Amino acid sequence: MRQHDESDAAAEVDDVLKSAAEELRRPLRIDAALFDARVMDEVHRGAGGFRERMARLTRPRTFRVSPLTALAATLVFAVAIGAGVLALRPSRARVPLSDVARAGAGSPLVQFGFVAPNASSVALVGDFNDWDPKATPLRAASTGGVWSVEVPIQPGRHLYAFVVDGTVWRPDPAAPQATGEDYGEPNSALTVVAEQGSR
Amino acid sequence: MRHLSRALFALGLALGFAPLAPLALAAQDARLDSRLDAHTRGAVVALIDSARADGIPSEPLVQKALEGASKRADGARILIAVRMLDRELGDARAALGAASSDAEIIAGASALHAGIAPAALVRMRASRAHGSLTVALAVLSDLIARGVPGDTATTVISALTVAGAQDAELVKFQQGVERDIAQGATPSAALGVRAQGAFPAAAPRRTP
Repeated sequence: MRQHDESDAAAEVDDVLKSAAEELRRPLRIDAALFDARVMDEVHRGAGGFRERMARLTRPRTFRVSPLTALAATLVFAVAIGAGVLALRPSRARVPLSDVARAGAGSPLVQFGFVAPNASSVALVGDFNDWDPKATPLRAASTGGVWSVEVPIQPGRHLYAFVVDGTVWRPDPAAPQATGEDYGEPNSALTVVAEQGSR
Repeated sequence: MRHLSRALFALGLALGFAPLAPLALAAQDARLDSRLDAHTRGAVVALIDSARADGIPSEPLVQKALEGASKRADGARILIAVRMLDRELGDARAALGAASSDAEIIAGASALHAGIAPAALVRMRASRAHGSLTVALAVLSDLIARGVPGDTATTVISALTVAGAQDAELVKFQQGVERDIAQGATPSAALGVRAQGAFPAAAPRRTP
């Protein structure tokens, strides 16, 4: 009898295992529409969280700040704005200041021009750039052989010349020639007028 | 107590700026270092130091030396040119007065270089004791460079200065004379006509 009970129990276990195995073997059915709906539901739930975070950030609040802290914050803000304005301020000189020695910030811009159709380079030299042929090269126009440059120059009387192709010195034909040729090469004279009242 | 505060303030200011002076001198010497040979550089630096001690602008001397170096002049020639300019700057300062600006002294030296007598600079200073003479002297030099006789140019520019001509008017006057010369007028005639047009009293008298 006891042996009969044991065989019945074993048969029941087998049945359970068999049905469990069948259940596991059965292919899983995925309802595409339902799946999409669930995914979108999760997305919306996430978006709702973002909106909630934004709402938390934009919700009006009251802060308490001491006058000293407010003053310090104002100063920091003003310094930051000032530094930004200075950094973004456009340069008034069209020629890099490094090209011209000791040009003052308020010096008038003077345009120099020279016609040399066959030249490969033209440079401006004078008592405003240490007579350095490398300091202030002129730029050639696309046609016509006209070379030009704009340079800030301090008010006063100045001497200058052009150096063509690095070796040939030429005075400015459009300007008065300076008297005296200390070194055998003539210079041109330039008078830059200061604002009235300066001396 | 107030004097003490001012003295301390001045001392602080002097101490604050003192480190900048050697930097300026070093920068000036560095320009000469790379362009002049040792002998020429030593002589030029001595001239510059002497000029500075006498209240004469030294930058024109540096530029004159650098101009010679760029034009590949030899050391002896550079020294002659720098010495001559040093003398002209000194004469211009003496004629125009110690209170004159560097720009005035430089323009005065240019006028002397062009052949104007120091006495003419003295007269021009007397005619404009408080205003700048820089442009008037520059215009004077440029007119002489264009061929206008020195005494005539001095008379006209002095008269315009006394009459209160502004710097821009003097430059415009010079440009008019240059234009007339370029179109064929003699320098004297161009100056006379322009002077009569700009300011009748400044025109040189015509001899019958």
